[in-house]
Order: sequence, then structure tokens, then C-alpha cells
Amino acid sequence: MFEIIKNEWRFILRNHIFIGISLVFIFTVFLTVLLGNDVTKKESESHHDAREHIRQQWTTIDGMNPHRAAHFGTYIFKPVNLLNSLDEGIENITGNTIKVEGHVQNEIIHSETSQMQTISRFGKLTASLILKFILPVLLIFLAFNAISHDKRSGRLKLMILQGASIVKIILSKTIAVWLYSIFLLIFIISTYCILNIEHLTTQIAIRTLLFFLAYACYYFIITGLTFYCTIRSKNERLALTAMLSVWIIWTMFLPSIVMSATEQWDPLPTRNTFQSAMKEDRSKGIDGHNPTDKRGLELKEEVLKKYNVDSLSQLPINFDGLRMQADEDYGNSVWDKHFGDNRDILHKQKQNFQLFGSINPFISLHNLSMGFMASDNLHHQKFLLQVEDYRRDFIKTLNDKQTFGGSKTGNWGWKEDNSFFKSIPDFKYKPVALSSVVSYYLTDIILLLIWTLCIVLLIFFGTKKLQLL
Amino acid sequence: MRYFNVILFEWKHFIKSPFKIIGVVLFIICGVYGLHNGANLYTKQNSEINKLNQKAELEKKTILGFYDNNQKGPLTRPWVDITKPLWAIRNVPTYHYKKPSPNIVYSTGQTEQYGFYKKIRLYSSPYDADMTKEIANPERIQFGALDFSFTILYLLPLLLLILLYDIKGSEAEQGFLPLILVQTGVKQWWMLSRVTFYVILSMIIILVLMFYGSTLTEVFKTPLTFWNIFVWIILYLFLWVTIYFIILYFGKNTISNTFQMMGLWLIFSFIIPASIYQWISIEQPVNLMTNIIDTKRGKKDQIYKELASTSDIELLQLYPKLKQTERTITTANIKNLRANSKIAFANVALKTAITNAETNNLRRNKLISKTYGINPLTFFQAKLNQLTSTDYNSYKTYRDDIQQLIDIRINTLISDTWNTTKINKTKYIDYNKSLHK
Repeated sequence: MFEIIKNEWRFILRNHIFIGISLVFIFTVFLTVLLGNDVTKKESESHHDAREHIRQQWTTIDGMNPHRAAHFGTYIFKPVNLLNSLDEGIENITGNTIKVEGHVQNEIIHSETSQMQTISRFGKLTASLILKFILPVLLIFLAFNAISHDKRSGRLKLMILQGASIVKIILSKTIAVWLYSIFLLIFIISTYCILNIEHLTTQIAIRTLLFFLAYACYYFIITGLTFYCTIRSKNERLALTAMLSVWIIWTMFLPSIVMSATEQWDPLPTRNTFQSAMKEDRSKGIDGHNPTDKRGLELKEEVLKKYNVDSLSQLPINFDGLRMQADEDYGNSVWDKHFGDNRDILHKQKQNFQLFGSINPFISLHNLSMGFMASDNLHHQKFLLQVEDYRRDFIKTLNDKQTFGGSKTGNWGWKEDNSFFKSIPDFKYKPVALSSVVSYYLTDIILLLIWTLCIVLLIFFGTKKLQLL
Repeated sequence: MRYFNVILFEWKHFIKSPFKIIGVVLFIICGVYGLHNGANLYTKQNSEINKLNQKAELEKKTILGFYDNNQKGPLTRPWVDITKPLWAIRNVPTYHYKKPSPNIVYSTGQTEQYGFYKKIRLYSSPYDADMTKEIANPERIQFGALDFSFTILYLLPLLLLILLYDIKGSEAEQGFLPLILVQTGVKQWWMLSRVTFYVILSMIIILVLMFYGSTLTEVFKTPLTFWNIFVWIILYLFLWVTIYFIILYFGKNTISNTFQMMGLWLIFSFIIPASIYQWISIEQPVNLMTNIIDTKRGKKDQIYKELASTSDIELLQLYPKLKQTERTITTANIKNLRANSKIAFANVALKTAITNAETNNLRRNKLISKTYGINPLTFFQAKLNQLTSTDYNSYKTYRDDIQQLIDIRINTLISDTWNTTKINKTKYIDYNKSLHK
């Protein structure tokens, strides 16, 4: 077996056209990783500057009413992930900026794609674009050429006459071509690691390793299937056309059609319906800015009773702040309910999409590639949740200051000094734990492994009784 | 006549090639699916617009009810006084829509990257958070909808590849190419006749699909656009036919021809557009809109802190007609008047910041258009999106219209506030007409 692999490699290395294509390919991939890294670094710098700028605006606030500061709010910029230079996933369409303020949970806006006309449907020239779309085609041609050439030249028959079993030949050839893709994968990942050596963490290293393994499995599936189709087919051209059709269906048709279908099976509400439902539920709570609001009056009675006083002016605290926080708390529960429902729908859509990995391993690969590179919807939703958690703490701190900071009810002119605003911490993004990513993508991992196993079995049992002599 | 016979023979060859027939059938299925995707989006957006119109009508009726009952506003909000311009204007429900073009069936373009309706308020701007896209699965948007333009731009070259890949190569491999050349004469005419058959076949399929698409929406409201789209698609078809013809003419065998055709398709569809996208990102990194943020916060604060005398001068510069109402400056309500007028300065400042952001975007688009020579796919994509009003510029026009409506709203507020106009039912109905586009 090892001899067949060695021979196959010798054969590959003797092919000058192939060496030329490989060199161009390696150069393109190198350039892709280099440019991807450059874009990520530039974006990272601009995010850092914007963040510093906004933070500086906040920490220089001097003499402002805490509730006014809640309206002034702050902005959070979606942090740039180093892993995005390998797979940018949904990063360019989700937006970058989100305002954090009182009373309202804003949406993330200013996506990259909305700032220009459409250029590429498949995103930027990142390593994943090459690895997902281009390399498999090269593998199909390489695998097809390896077997069809041997068939035409009679080398295949010669090998069988020499005692090699057909299963052994196909498996060895599959491994030989697959090793070529592994070599390219290692080259990409090594280049990426060298370029980012100073930022490399265990988390990034493990994610990159899992990324590598996912692609390695997919390439084995593609290579094995091409060998199988070519050896089984009596018409070589038909085999090539069939494999290219499989590639087109897997990468171009199915993902888009399946994703649209899953969205139709579990539809998300329209923005208008969603906002109307939120507004409706929110109206049932306390209106923080309306002193005559019925529920506000009930809260007032409750607080007066608690402090054993007759009027708001006798309260040792500022009731306005308390009402504002009660409004926030109610608003938060409404947000949890409605946004939680949306997240559940998105999760259901994803689960259905993942199941289609059983008929299309590209779907599993696509999910895993984005997931391990932290550029999928799971990471985006986790980021939004962290922003919301920060918003709640941020507003509560301001409302608590308004309530217990020493001001009296109705005293909107009361101001806090700079040290208070400085003491409020900035938003810090906590990376999503790898364990939760792995459990989220378990279906894809299992399906990709099953596909790999099926290909091995297909080669074993599908070619065993093949009569080539 | 000889070449006409070659074309007719090609038909026989075609119907005997199951793979080519499967290719055509798959292409038609995708085309129909894509057309329905566009039509669904058209229906969905129109239905949403109708719902919003009904909502606005209801809001309007509630306010008209207040006027009928001599009420100044809802009892729960005693500070509201709809007889004053500020509250009356604030309660004019104005929605502005980016109505979908019926031609959206042919290309959904950037439709799903932007919102298509906006409630106009006094403090609105075309860069508000509510201008964001409809709620959708971002992973689905990232894949892009399989619309008709996707079928044309990405799958038509693949269909042509399936239809043309074995021309000449197959005959050369089987060794009867010289015989054919003896029978038919010049090689290029024989090849051209065969290719012509597939060009005619593709043109018929595209036209039939487009006519089918026209039954899904009211495409023929603008028949010229329909034919324009068809012409651009045919030009795109000819571009690929020419590329493939050159490969086939100089190619020696089917496998190598297929490899080259596939390679070129990958280069034109993936590598070049993606490289240009990467280059644009390096040249013009994503704008985090800190300019707009600064204006919304810092500049606005500065405006509201400005001395009364300074802002009065600036206001009269901005609205010279107010000079006739200068007497109002002496009124007791001057503080409120000034405060309400400062919105105009905030709007001017925001417009400047927005212009900067739009200029950045324009610069990006200019860079993209400079690459059309080497990036035909993006060029044809831009053309189709432009013809179906789903491109960046259509949404820029939509944003401009929103800004215009905001300007009208603020101008009306300033003018009527300083003229101490009393708002009654008739005036409110007038507002509902004049504040809409």
C-alpha cells in the first residue's frame, strides 16, 4: 500500500502541468492568508481606535445626571476575531456597531456589505473560500486523472496482475491524492500560525486544529468519491461530469435551497410584527418617564409603605431612579421573551440545516468551518447576549446612582461627577467556550465522520468484486 | 445550408445526451426557483407595506378622533398638546417605503441587506438603527438567495460548460475529426454552427424563463426594463460562449478542455470578485460611523449648549423667512421656541456627517467600477441589480428621500412654531399630505 502511495506521488511530481498549478495554488493561498491577516489587523486597529474614542467620551463626562448619561449611552463595536482571516463567515453582513442606552435594546448596524455595492456572492478571498470551493475541484480533477490515466495506459491492469487488490489500489490512490490536500492545508495553517505567532492562544490553536480536521475529512470524502465514481464508470467523461455535477449540487444548489427551506419551515417574525408584539408587551409594564402611569403609581405606594412615609419628598431615596429601574426590569423580561423566541427559531433552523449534512457533507463542513473560526451565528448571538448583559449592568448602575446617590425625587438637575462615570467598566468580550461550540456542532461532526466512514466502506465493498481484467 | 444541417444534427446529438438534458432541466428548475424567490420577496414586502399603511391609517384616525372630541391628546399623557405644531407633527404617522420593483423577480440584489420601510420622525436620520434589514437568519443571507440573477451569473456558464465541453474534443479523441472537416469544410464554421445551436437553445430557455417570471409580478408595467435585462443577459451569454469557444478551438481533448473551462469559471466567479472585495477592504476598511456617532452626541450637545443670541443668528441664516416672525422673539415662550428650533441645527450637522459616510461608500463603489474590465461578473451583476432597482444606488436614493422628508418635517415645524400656527383637524390632514412623499 505504501509503495502504491509512493508511486502515485512520484507520478504526481513528474507531471509538470500539475506542479505548475500547485505552485500557483500555493502562491494564491499564501497571498490569501497574508491579505486576510492584513484586513483583520486593519479592522482590529480601526475597532480599537473607535472603542478608545467612545470610551474616552464616556470617561470624560463630568457633571451629568445619571439618567441623562443613560440616554447618552455608549457604543460597542463588534470585536474583530483573529480567526476571521481564515473564515469570515457572517461577519461582513451582521453589522459592527451597537448603541447601549436606557429604555431600549438597539440592534447592531452598519454592516460592511451595506456600505458598498455587491462584489462577490461568496465573500472575500479568504482561505476558506479557496479551501471550500476551489481545492475540491482540483482534487476531483487530480483523482479523476490518476485513475483514468492508469485505466487507459493499462497500468491498473498491470498492478492487479502483480497481485495488488483493487481495494488496496483505490484506497492507496485516494490516500495519495488526499495527502496532497493535507499538504496544502498544513501549508495554509502553518502560514497563518507563523503570521499570528504572538497572538496564538491554546483556544485558537485547538480551533485551528479542529478546522484542519473538518477539511481533512471533507477532502477524503471528495477524493474517495471521485475515485469510486471513476473506477465504476465505463465512460470516463461521464464520471468526470458526474463528479463535477455532485460538486455543483453540493456547493451551489443545496446549501442555498436548504437554508431558504429551513427558514420557511420555522419562519422568523417580520420586523413590524416583532416590534408591535414587543411594544404591546412593553406597554403592560411601567412607563419610566410617566409619573401618572398606573403601575408606576402602584410602585410608588409600595415604596412609600416600605419606607413608612407619606410623600415622595420624605423618601430618603430618589423614586425616579427606582421607577426607571422597574421599567428596565420589565423591559428586560419582554426582551428576554421575544428575542429568546427568535433565538429559538434560529436554533431550530440551524438544527434542520445541520441534518441536511446527511445528504450533503459540504453543509457540515461549512457549519464547522464557520463555527470553529468563531464567525457563525452562534458566536454572533453570544456576542449580542453579552452586550445585552453589559447594558443591563450599565443601566442598573446609573439608575442605582440616581436612586441611592443622594438626590431627591424630581431633582433631574442633580449631577454626578467624573469619578463615578470613570468607575463604570468598559465592555469586555468573553470568547465563547470551545466546549459549547463542539456540543452545538456535534451533529455536523458526527455526520462528517459518518460520511468519511461511508466512503471507506464504499471503496471496500463497492470495488471488491469489480472485474477490470 | 451545410452549416444549417450541422445545427440540425446538433439537436439530435443533444437529445441523445442524457447529461446535457439533465443539465438543462436542472438549470430550468433553478431558474424557476429563483424567479419564485424574487416573487416571494416582492409579495412579502408589499404585504408588509400594506400592513404598515393600515397601521398608519389607524394612528391617524386616533389623532383625528382627538380633534373631533376637542382633546389635546391621550389622557395618560397630559403633556401632549396636538394643537401645537410640535405635537401635531410628532403625531403624523409618516412611513417611507422602498417599494419593490416588479423586476425584483429577476434579481433580488441587495434587497435583503437593507430595510425597506422607515417611520419618519423629527429626530430621524437615514442612518438610524431602524434602517437595518428585516429580521432574517444571517447565515442564510450569507449564502445568498438562489435568485434568477444567481442562476444566470453563476449557473449559465456551468450550463454552457455542460453543453459545449465535448465539442471537437470528443471527435478528436475518437479520431474522426479529419473526416468531419472533409465533409463540412472549415473547422471554425463547423464548430461555430454547433455552438450556435446551444446559444439559440440557451436564449430560448432564458426568454421562456423571463416570460414565466413576468407572470409572477407586473413586470410589463415597464416593458423596456424587461428587454433591457434580456439584452444584458444575452451579452453575458455571448461573453462566456466566446471564452469557451476559444478554449474549444485551441483545445486538444475533452478532459483538458473541461479543466480549462471549469478553471476559468472558478477564476471569474470566485477568485476575481473575491480578490477585489479583499482589495477594497484593505483600501477602504469598513466604516464604523464614529463621525455620525460624534455628531449625534457631541455636536448635538454643543448645539443645545449654544448661547441664545448665537443660535438666533444661525437660525435666521438657515430660515431667512423667519425674519418676518422676529416679533416672536419677544414672546414669553421664547425658550421653548429656541429649544424646538435647535433640531434644525442638529439635522444640518448630521447631514454633513452622513455626507462624509456616503462619500466613503461612493469611493468604494468607484474603486469597484474601475475593476469591471477584469471582473465581468460583478459588472453584469451591478447591471442586473440596477435594472431591478435592488442595487446600492437605489437604496441611496431611498435614504436621500428619507432625508428630504425629515427636512420637510423640520422646516414645517420651525415655520409653524415661529408663526404660532394653531393646529386644527384641517391643518393636521394637510400635514398628513405634505409630510409624505
